[in-house]
Amino acid sequence: MAVSPLVSHSPSAASSSPAKLRAANVRSSATKPENASSHQPSQNTDRELTEQLNDEVRQKYVKDKRLGEGTYAVVFLGRLRTDPSSFVAIKKIKVNAEYKDGLSMDAIREVKYLQELSHPNIIALHDVFSSKDQNLNLVLEYLPLGDLEMLIKDGNVHYGAADVKAWMGMLARGVWFCHENFILHRDIKPNNLLIASDGEVKLADFGLARSFADPYLNMTHQVITRWYRPPELLYGARQYSGVVDVWSMGMVFAELLLRVPFVAGNTDLDQISKICEAFGTPTEENWPGVSKLPNYIAPDRNHLVPTQGRDFFLRQFPNAGPVGADLLMSMCTLDPRKRKTACEVLQHIWWTSEPRPTDKHDLPRKSGGTRKMGDDLTRRGGEIDENAFKNAARKLDFSAM
Amino acid sequence: MIEDDIYRTSSQFRIWSFTEDSLKQLRATTNTIASERVRAALRRAREARQSAAPSAAGTPTANQSGSEADGKGPGERIIECLTPEEEQELVRYYCEKTVELGETYKPPMPTIVRATAIQYLRRFYLTNSPMTYHPKSIMACALFLATKTDNYYMSLRQFAAGIPGDTTQEDVIAPEFLIMQSLRFTFDVRHPFRGLEGGIMELQAISQGLGQPSPLQPQQTPEDLRRGLSSIPPAPNASSSQSLNDRLARAHHTTREILKSAAQMTDAYFLYTPSQIWLSAFFLADKPLAEFYLDTKIGGPLSSLRTKLLTTLTNCSNLLSAYKPLSTDPEQMKTLRRIAKKLYHCQNPEKANIAGQKRIPAAAMSSGAATAAGTPVAGGGSGESGAESEMERLAKKRKLEGGGSSGTKADDMFGGELVTQRNKQQGPTSHPEAG
Repeated sequence: MAVSPLVSHSPSAASSSPAKLRAANVRSSATKPENASSHQPSQNTDRELTEQLNDEVRQKYVKDKRLGEGTYAVVFLGRLRTDPSSFVAIKKIKVNAEYKDGLSMDAIREVKYLQELSHPNIIALHDVFSSKDQNLNLVLEYLPLGDLEMLIKDGNVHYGAADVKAWMGMLARGVWFCHENFILHRDIKPNNLLIASDGEVKLADFGLARSFADPYLNMTHQVITRWYRPPELLYGARQYSGVVDVWSMGMVFAELLLRVPFVAGNTDLDQISKICEAFGTPTEENWPGVSKLPNYIAPDRNHLVPTQGRDFFLRQFPNAGPVGADLLMSMCTLDPRKRKTACEVLQHIWWTSEPRPTDKHDLPRKSGGTRKMGDDLTRRGGEIDENAFKNAARKLDFSAM
Repeated sequence: MIEDDIYRTSSQFRIWSFTEDSLKQLRATTNTIASERVRAALRRAREARQSAAPSAAGTPTANQSGSEADGKGPGERIIECLTPEEEQELVRYYCEKTVELGETYKPPMPTIVRATAIQYLRRFYLTNSPMTYHPKSIMACALFLATKTDNYYMSLRQFAAGIPGDTTQEDVIAPEFLIMQSLRFTFDVRHPFRGLEGGIMELQAISQGLGQPSPLQPQQTPEDLRRGLSSIPPAPNASSSQSLNDRLARAHHTTREILKSAAQMTDAYFLYTPSQIWLSAFFLADKPLAEFYLDTKIGGPLSSLRTKLLTTLTNCSNLLSAYKPLSTDPEQMKTLRRIAKKLYHCQNPEKANIAGQKRIPAAAMSSGAATAAGTPVAGGGSGESGAESEMERLAKKRKLEGGGSSGTKADDMFGGELVTQRNKQQGPTSHPEAG
């Protein structure tokens, strides 16, 4: 597995979750033929080879109780048949009777990209299998501690700069890995950042992801939830790069520090004006070529907000410290060409300057304490846990974006 | 070696990379299973027919029911199944047809979409046999799936309308799940095209004196690189007056053509990595240029690695240069017609209609799923016997046509518009099947 340039300590590689360790074996990359040729199909010629392989995968898991349901999918708790204490989340994609064009794009994207991405900060897809009636089941890593949004919103949860640094570090490594694999996530926001039982943050929801387009080919600009959408997409850019995700990361960073969304527009237009107020008005001077973007709105000459400098970020985000404020500023640079890439973000001195990031096991968590995952399930619905489950399920539901 | 590590996590490496032996073995296994199932299905059809009409004339099996019990009677002998090699030929033909189908759209589908569809087809037929699922009924769906996975989305309606002939939307989408399952739900295909573009851009930069020295040879200057590039021996079969830019453009084009054809139609993707494939094609296009490029990467201290890599590249180049397009080669087309004729007799009747199987897994089907197919079966009392009789009719038709008429059918199939033929062919079998 590839390692991010700036993993100072890599506890993330050795997970405490048995399910994950086992999954790592399943997805082992060391031996070449994991493929069908290594299987000795049974002499039962009544089932085709593909079906036999599918059966083998399906029989590895036992479906347990339902964790949540959305319009697009149902999420179940699952266990490994051979080790019932290893949990997984089984997401069953609903067959949409309205949609006649086969499997939906959301599902295709999610499966396509998660199959390729194997990294501690990206939700693991252990397996995919079909159940009866041609239902698609995704066996995902079980992430029982909710998401970053829950923590940001809960006033009872207290956290500091070292915790923010730990969370941002995990996010940045996950995003860097996507980009290193030529994949844009295109929907980074706090409630797509789920938390594993050991505190590790995992980037989830790849329903809007896509591979980098080849040069000169267009992509859609209708992606990324509005508050986290960069100005180039709001202006309708059809050719863009990984730094769209970096802008979103910057917004998550700001939100972690402020505990409210930093630029929360009511409409796309409102979002643009709020960005202008906060960071400065995009002009040909600070962003050459911006006026050529399809949805560019010429600013009112009398209300030009100058590009905000370091002082502004320090004032707005005092708890980031001068170095943190500098990193945040480089992530929310208006001109995408001048914005830092995910790799450059990881090379910033903030990560190695004081305070050191909190160890993931010691990060604040909403359910409090270090309960075992098994306890969460045997206990009859404590309120907080119930919410955590609902939340985890909802996050896995791609229609809820 | 971080890029290699990343590649090793890809599904293309984890699931779809093979050694020559493992690939051969997998195909043999698939072929064996499919052959047994075809024979069993045809035997069931024959038995059903015998019990329904013991005195049926014109079927040789009717007189030999005694020797048939052990499955070795003359009735059995006429079911000659395809060999793995014949299956491969047939699939290759439909891969070539996929390129043509993509060409019929306005605008033509991007190369990458067609290439992905071809790799889907090739992967599909590693664990499925054309005797079970005829490539003509899988091909269009593979292309449609590729439009979805490669961000060239068009509606099913639009897609079906673009197919010559009267293929319906349902025809196209019916095998989608079957294909996805056979692809083991991995949709990402890593193509060699992007690597080629990058390599050409690097060479162009070098020719303009803007080259980046390799980290292993930091003493090189952009000027050294530029001089090196301009002093390489001329390409064979090129005029000496050719400018460096023309030479690069020409090598680029030739390589790309190889990647669009030979790299798609051979086992290259199963046996080699994308960068090995484009470099091998580049070697075929302009050897001195390719050698220079390789030197900028792994010259100097890595010469032992270079030797090792060259062996791999040579093997891959040989594979690529051995490719001859089927449709322009009368000799290969003759073989193909023979295979098609043979397939006509060993097509699994129980799998003839994919649409009918939709949402019915094979396990359920074997326990009398005729009722589940939903459509009334022609001439059947109960669902079960109705379907049996349909199968019997099919098998009989095959036998009757065995003499001559199927020959014309097979010829038909490979002339004119492919998909129209597909409908003609499917006509008699487009009823719910049993089994």
